[in-house]
Amino acid sequence: SSDSSSERQILRFIPFQSSADEGFWRRLSSLKLDTLGLDQSPIPITGEFFSFLSACFYAPCSHPQVPNPLKLMAESLPDDPLQLVIGNRNKCPVPGTLYNTNTLESFRALDKDALLKMEARKVKSLDFSIFDDIISGKADEDCAVLSRFLLISFADLKKWTFRHWFAFPALSLEPPATLVNIQPASKVFSSEEAKSLSRACNEWRNSNMTAGVPFFFIVIASNAQVTIRPLKDWEAFHGDGEKLLFGFYDPCNLPSNPGWPLRNFLAFICLRWKIENIQFLCYRERRGLADLELSLVGEAVVLLPQDWRSPCCVPKAVGWELKPKLMNLAASMDPKRLAVSAA
Amino acid sequence: MVLTQKLHEAFKGTVERITAPRTVSAFKEKGVLSVSEFVIAGDNLVAKCPTWSWEAGEPSKRKSYLPADKQYLITRNVPCLRRAASVEEEYEAAGGEFLIDNDDNNGWLATHGRPKETNSAEEENLPSMETLEINKCRGIKPISSYLGGEEEEDIPDMADFEDTENLVETDPATLQPSYFVTHEPEDDNILRTRTYDVSITYDKYYQTPRVWLTGYDESRVPLKPELVLEDVSQDHAHKTVTIEDHPHLAGKHASVHPCRHGAVMKKIIDVLMSRGVEPEVDKYLFLFLKFMASVIPTIEYDYTMDFDLGSTSH
Repeated sequence: SSDSSSERQILRFIPFQSSADEGFWRRLSSLKLDTLGLDQSPIPITGEFFSFLSACFYAPCSHPQVPNPLKLMAESLPDDPLQLVIGNRNKCPVPGTLYNTNTLESFRALDKDALLKMEARKVKSLDFSIFDDIISGKADEDCAVLSRFLLISFADLKKWTFRHWFAFPALSLEPPATLVNIQPASKVFSSEEAKSLSRACNEWRNSNMTAGVPFFFIVIASNAQVTIRPLKDWEAFHGDGEKLLFGFYDPCNLPSNPGWPLRNFLAFICLRWKIENIQFLCYRERRGLADLELSLVGEAVVLLPQDWRSPCCVPKAVGWELKPKLMNLAASMDPKRLAVSAA
Repeated sequence: MVLTQKLHEAFKGTVERITAPRTVSAFKEKGVLSVSEFVIAGDNLVAKCPTWSWEAGEPSKRKSYLPADKQYLITRNVPCLRRAASVEEEYEAAGGEFLIDNDDNNGWLATHGRPKETNSAEEENLPSMETLEINKCRGIKPISSYLGGEEEEDIPDMADFEDTENLVETDPATLQPSYFVTHEPEDDNILRTRTYDVSITYDKYYQTPRVWLTGYDESRVPLKPELVLEDVSQDHAHKTVTIEDHPHLAGKHASVHPCRHGAVMKKIIDVLMSRGVEPEVDKYLFLFLKFMASVIPTIEYDYTMDFDLGSTSH
């Protein structure tokens, strides 16, 4: 549908990489064994699986060679689900939901399309969804909800294997956003602006209050002074000829394209703030400091999809990874194999 | 795990339980750190190299002698662009020695593994590396042998689904870069970058920091710890790097065994002092990480030292 002869260049986003470590699967195993039991489903959505609220973590790209993955680790499944997940500058929390099935058959049978749609738009009043969080203003207060993940899994505790499949739900703009231009941030700013922007970014990243806040807007005054503001300040902000940029922590390392979090951020900006011509900053670091050679500045044109104006619209979403993954922890978790290796 | 190693671990665990942590500084005399000095040095590392963070770790594994929110240090997603085995020749050319300092032409080399210098009584009590056997891992295995996928089950991927509406593959606004391959690519131009989480714990028995390596393959699936040995200088892969339970993280991880750390750090400190530099304890981890870079030369973690190592007394 996209490769017609039209001149418009579609803005293309690099999907998140996912990475789940051993600690996460061990936590899931002990939750299943100790808390939930193998056969009973105390908090089922259907009889086929449990759902858990969970948190992934990511950070801005900080090495030009590698993107920064979304990581699941032991603390992604806290003992107390109401416990606040605390991140730090290298571990910004991303909320998500885990659906763990009891059998391989139900893992295969999960309706991935329906699960993703539920992320985009709520079905029941208890669900939270990207679209609702944007129009309700929740994302203004807690911008972490703009990135999220879905994980479906089948934890086979007889074989100690963990089949899993990630999705990074993103609202799909129709028509897609158009790229006007994109280039290294170092080529865009005057040296005064660049210095002030780096300083402001480093201050944002070093403050405990803002280090884990991955979306923000940047105001560059005519005297080159840069200030970074949280999204909730937008309502009270009255532009006075300053340059405006919408910034986000970009996990992607490529010089040509922005990473996945920008997708829902653009949807947020056009849906909530009705801006169509959007200047954005893909914020990236080197050695933990702002790096304007790696960071990108781009301009995109976003048209609010017609049906998004309707109060009952169910927006299209994308985000499943192409393939499921398999983690095999038999060598380190199977009591029989451990007994043999210890003998 | 080999029996001798298990016995030693049990012995070490008992000693750690019944001895109080070091409180008196012996940093200059023995190259070791007290618990509070470890925290001071860790704070400085986190401040100067923000890719490092303190972690609280799992509550059940917390050590009471360390602050709850400062149990260990970690830097994640560190690229490792080539296997250490591929730089082996350079390493051999250096005679299996490592350069501690070549800021001027007065470079100073130290041997490691089994130093020949006289042992103090205390050192004789330490187990030699010979007793700590580890699995030989000579041949470099293909990069695809990770903790994932030993059995091939027939799970359809997204392309097999009838309703392709959610497919990133057919979504015009998604770009799948070529490095997202999950199988061994035939084209060698594809960048296959392993990454590492490098963590530093405090070893109460040896009273030094201890480095742990958690590897991930190019699709970010955890590597078997044995494969991590490919990214360790081969001189160390068969001696000083062992695979053990991490004190704060789940599972087995490769670790640079700390039994010689104190002695080597003491030498580094002596060299600095002989050159009129008074080493400060908060710089310990920078020196330590520079020393570790000789063991894991291709893992590009940050230990920038663009400042004085200590106060220069004269």
